[in-house]
Amino acid sequence: MSIQDKIRKITVILYCVIILGLTVLFFVFPKEEFSQNENRYLAKFPELSRETYMSGEYMDALSEWFSDHFPMRDWFMGYKTAFEIATGRREIGGVYIAKDDYLIEGYATPVNTQRICDTFRKFYEKTDKSTVDTNLMLIPTAVTIYRDKLPALAPKADQTATAKEIYDRTGIPAIDCSGKLYEAAPSGQLYYRTDHHWTTFGAYQGYVAYCEAKDLIPVPLEDFSSQKVTEEFAGTLYSKVNDYHHVKDDIVVYTHPDDRLTVTYTDTGEVTDSLYNMEYLAEKDKYSLFLNNIHTLVEIENANAQSEDVLVLIKDSYANSMVPFLAHHYRKIYVFDTRYYKQGPSDFLAKHSEVTDVLILYNMNTLDNDSGIRGIY
Amino acid sequence: MVFSSIPFLFFFFPICFILYYAVPFSWKNGILLLFSLIFYTWGEPRYIVILLFATGVDYINGRLMERYGTDKKIRTVFLCSSVVINLSVLAFFKYADFIISTINMIFGTQIKPLGLSLPVGISFYTFQTMSYIIDLYRGTIQAEHSYPRYLTYVSMFPQLVAGPIVRFADVQKEIYARHIDGEEVRRGILRFMMGLFKKVLIANQVGALWEEISSLGAGQTSVATAWLGALSFTLQLYFDFSAYSDMAIGMGQMLGFHFNENFNYPLTAVSVTDFWRRWHISLSTWFRDYVYIPLGGNRRGIAKHLRNIAVVWFLTGLWHGASWNFVLWGVYYGILLALEKYVWGIRLEKLPGWLRHAYALFIIVFGFVIFAITDAGKLITYIGLLFGLKGNCAADSRCLWYLYNYGVELTAACVLACPVYPWIRRKSEQLKGGVGILVSGIGYMMGAALLLLSVAYLVNDTYNPFLYFRF
Repeated sequence: MSIQDKIRKITVILYCVIILGLTVLFFVFPKEEFSQNENRYLAKFPELSRETYMSGEYMDALSEWFSDHFPMRDWFMGYKTAFEIATGRREIGGVYIAKDDYLIEGYATPVNTQRICDTFRKFYEKTDKSTVDTNLMLIPTAVTIYRDKLPALAPKADQTATAKEIYDRTGIPAIDCSGKLYEAAPSGQLYYRTDHHWTTFGAYQGYVAYCEAKDLIPVPLEDFSSQKVTEEFAGTLYSKVNDYHHVKDDIVVYTHPDDRLTVTYTDTGEVTDSLYNMEYLAEKDKYSLFLNNIHTLVEIENANAQSEDVLVLIKDSYANSMVPFLAHHYRKIYVFDTRYYKQGPSDFLAKHSEVTDVLILYNMNTLDNDSGIRGIY
Repeated sequence: MVFSSIPFLFFFFPICFILYYAVPFSWKNGILLLFSLIFYTWGEPRYIVILLFATGVDYINGRLMERYGTDKKIRTVFLCSSVVINLSVLAFFKYADFIISTINMIFGTQIKPLGLSLPVGISFYTFQTMSYIIDLYRGTIQAEHSYPRYLTYVSMFPQLVAGPIVRFADVQKEIYARHIDGEEVRRGILRFMMGLFKKVLIANQVGALWEEISSLGAGQTSVATAWLGALSFTLQLYFDFSAYSDMAIGMGQMLGFHFNENFNYPLTAVSVTDFWRRWHISLSTWFRDYVYIPLGGNRRGIAKHLRNIAVVWFLTGLWHGASWNFVLWGVYYGILLALEKYVWGIRLEKLPGWLRHAYALFIIVFGFVIFAITDAGKLITYIGLLFGLKGNCAADSRCLWYLYNYGVELTAACVLACPVYPWIRRKSEQLKGGVGILVSGIGYMMGAALLLLSVAYLVNDTYNPFLYFRF
């Protein structure tokens, strides 16, 4: 037998060892219920029934279970990413591997603009414009503000045109913060490198734009006390890309020393005095610390507020890091998550005559697929 | 079940082969049949009934044909019964909605489509069982007396869902007795792995590129991007399909069977005629032996020859899917083959080699655009984009962006579409001493790395289509 033949034999044995080894490991390794990295529950072992078997559902579920609980799953995903980046791939799962260590989510061509405009417009038409001042803020994401950081040759997608279309068609007075964001870009980090949200610094720019439009005097950033709560934030884009050597983000939170807050989570009945839940720092999805992640309706009262005004906030998670700045100006803020609040904010407004302002705030990237839009009207 | 999937690779595959090798020979066909049926029922348990019915019909007709062997008329009755039933089942499940929608289109009627899902592999196994009954009628093979054995032949999992179309004559002896040789098994494993790498690391990747390009708006597609898309789809289909054949042939070898080759570097063809000698060989020889030659082939004058070409290529197109674009694709090749035969074939042969390759490649790539897009409106738009008729620019940075992102996969695909790999293997096997060890050593390290990489892609399955649900 020649050496080549022997080496070929070794290759075949190696293949068999890899396949059989992983099969054995699959059964030996303990099964996780939750993937911290992907921030989701992994598939459960499906229950066999006649119907699920005949429809093929059972086998699909079983395949998913196999793949979700595959040994060294995270390692394999990292290996794939490392290989792809090495071969020149600069977009993985819709996320650009951008300059300055930024991961930037691409902007998919919107398909629901018509429906979103209709919903916003109907809501706005129902508000009493003599007593309530309504505004719409659509926040551009990193793919627009940081377009210079996108990899060379990357196709440019236009959020601005969609935002303008929505502003025009709904007729809701617009607050466009993109100018403020561009202006502030050289002096700080507006978006997380590893997450699809804006940083608190970015949110502050949004707040300033809001104040200017509403004739409020924005509090200078220095007047807030700032606290760096983590340097280890690996956000959603990090999990999508799975480049484990990627730099992590800091999260800085701001509080105004004069504010005396009472924060009521109406769904759980929990009452606190802080807009942050630091318990989330121990978890993967640290952005959830803002406003304690997801709640149907949060009531924020400030005993030392600058005014007696009451704000209704209809929003996505981008607003969660802007609320700490807004809280200074309002006696009370009602924060809705319309994915879960089923009664409709219009009815709420009709019953609560103390409301003076309404702000609708969404980021441009997830707006098109936001399942909460239907809940607005 | 799909070969390139976690459940197949890590559960079905090892368990099946360990059992297969562990049992004595008399049990091997039983194990093979059992696992083939599990394999088939994995995705769609109901349609196993059709497989059992189709094979049952051919088995019974075969036995009857054997019993009334001497009378040609009676034999013809059994042949017809078998062929009619097979084709009716195929027509009902695969073409009913196509026929309905065509009738609705022509007559403006409102007949409701049946909405049946296509039984996996039906086009492949129908052709297999028909080859059995036709060969039996012709007297080139002996009838199979055992139904389980006949079912084992048809349902054998390596070739059940995506070919090659194995004929009974080619495996009959091996069904009865086969030698399972260590060297053959090793070759089979290597061949299977090669197929796996081709499918996961190349076909799926260039396929994702085609997916991306084909979903772009007309305004975003430059001429260069459109051609890059067409090339990506061509490479995807070739690598996907030939990878399946590699995996089938490899697993066949591991089981002790020898299936015929199905692809012979079709993208390196020098003419359309040459392409069809190299592409999906088991299908084109099937049509040649069971349709084209019985109709008279090219021996009955030009008119009959042209008719035969038209029939065969209409059917070849239709076989690939129940949609008019597939028929158009078949007719496109029929016309080109006739033209090569009667108009420019001789002149073509005098051209320099590179020009003949360019000519064939252009026809192949353009042809796969017709194959890829089932919607007529979208197809016309895409063809317009290919030739800059939609006011699109010649090239843009987006095209460069795709080249940059998929450059490695595209290059690997283009290189491996040429017979480079066998050449490297031949050369490296001739190397002696230290250099030989080094080259082979690097080869096997790479193989292991590629296997782990393929697993990584499967675990993180972003894009892993099974293209033959249409066939």
